[in-house]
Amino acid sequence: MANLEEALNTERVVYSEETIQARIKELGRQITEDYKDKELIVIGVIKGSLYFLSDLTRAIDLPIKVDMVGFSSIPDTTSKTGIVRITKDIDLDITDKHVLVVEDVIRTGLTTAYIIQNLEMKKPKEITLCSMLLNPDRLLMTIPVKYYGFEINDQWLAGYGLDRNEIGRNLPYIAQIPKQK
Amino acid sequence: MAIITISRQNGSLGDEIADALAARLGTIVISRKYALDNFFGEINPGTLDRLNESAKFFDLQLPGSDRTYADILVERIRALASESKDKDLVILGMGGSVLLSGFPGAIHVRVTASETTRLNTIARKYRITADEANEVLDIGDRKHRKFVRTVYGKDITAPEQFDLILNTDRLSVDECVDAIAELARKHDIRVRLAESNDSSNTIDHQTRNIAFKNETEEEFARILSLYNIEWLYEPKTFPVEWDAEGNVTMAISPDFYLPKFNLYLELTTMDQRYVTKKNKKMRLVKELYPGTNIRIVYKKDFNELVDRLKMFGGVGDNS
Repeated sequence: MANLEEALNTERVVYSEETIQARIKELGRQITEDYKDKELIVIGVIKGSLYFLSDLTRAIDLPIKVDMVGFSSIPDTTSKTGIVRITKDIDLDITDKHVLVVEDVIRTGLTTAYIIQNLEMKKPKEITLCSMLLNPDRLLMTIPVKYYGFEINDQWLAGYGLDRNEIGRNLPYIAQIPKQK
Repeated sequence: MAIITISRQNGSLGDEIADALAARLGTIVISRKYALDNFFGEINPGTLDRLNESAKFFDLQLPGSDRTYADILVERIRALASESKDKDLVILGMGGSVLLSGFPGAIHVRVTASETTRLNTIARKYRITADEANEVLDIGDRKHRKFVRTVYGKDITAPEQFDLILNTDRLSVDECVDAIAELARKHDIRVRLAESNDSSNTIDHQTRNIAFKNETEEEFARILSLYNIEWLYEPKTFPVEWDAEGNVTMAISPDFYLPKFNLYLELTTMDQRYVTKKNKKMRLVKELYPGTNIRIVYKKDFNELVDRLKMFGGVGDNS
């Protein structure tokens, strides 16, 4: 059976473990400074943000609360494309709280916009975003990205939470993979 | 913010719908009782009884004034509507649909029900017999019609004055409130967008029926809906070039507007030959209309988005 790199057919390391961890420490320091007198709830988006959320929250030196949100698409008999729905809602009350949503990658921002719209219904004081990766050239939506780890282009990536057909999340670094035809 | 007038048949649950809607919107119901309590200053009990009893007394002049109760009623309700730019207003009865006919942003609702439903509701509410309920209905309906005919000279039952007519034979109060609130919210977006043209010299391009120019636009609309992202199709035209006489020689009507994100999106997916021209128009919009969020969805972006949605079943890390 092929190992993980072989299964993904990785082409090159884009961000190494060391580079990722160093950047997360910087982000953690910045978030700690920005929210030092505020009640902060950090919400990770399942499943891609799993590792980033884990490392980022441990780099924040504040008494934060952590939660997770998940969503998926389901078929809908009334439309061709189906609908997106929340499959795991948050458990914490975010009313009047500062919320930081943690994503693994933001490209068009459509999925992030969907999550923000849903969280806004719970009347938080403020919602901001922290994404490990951001593609500013493809960002369509006006969403409140306050922090991000690295800028990326259109390359296809796997590792550190990012997957291809659910494989590759546990790769400890971020690698470029071939585009699927 | 919404201005909603509710006209109702007696026993149709219109009063209950108005109360629940006002509670949902965090406002109060402007009813005939509210008007009598607040619009006319001190009223002696005799006059109050007469105003409650019959519409014809609204033609009386206020003591020491040449203005009638009807004049004051009209003036105060129109003033409330004009001042309600940033708050919701629910007006129950009093011919609100006539009074605020054509008022920008106002939604006029009529609540009806079959005679059987109304009789049952009245009989239960007042614990009276069917015959007594029948009489209550007759008197109530006659009074409603007479009030509007006397004060405004109009027929309150004419359906064309209403944007939405609800029949509570099968609909619950909650369902009706959902329908009214959602209609008012969406209509408010259209009205505000239309009004924004006054200050920006842009042109209202909203239609009441969407006609996509091609399948790509239709597909993109589906993707937005998939993510529950509200959109309007080509709602506004931005003039970007004028001749010496001030005639518009170049303009752009972005394909989509996302009100929640205050964002215009223009698709360039059909023909890349137009990309340069569209890029120029985008640049001009940003220069001429500062603060306008407008972005191009390039063919490559669109195709990748569709491919990734297919591949990841609608969601995924690479979308």
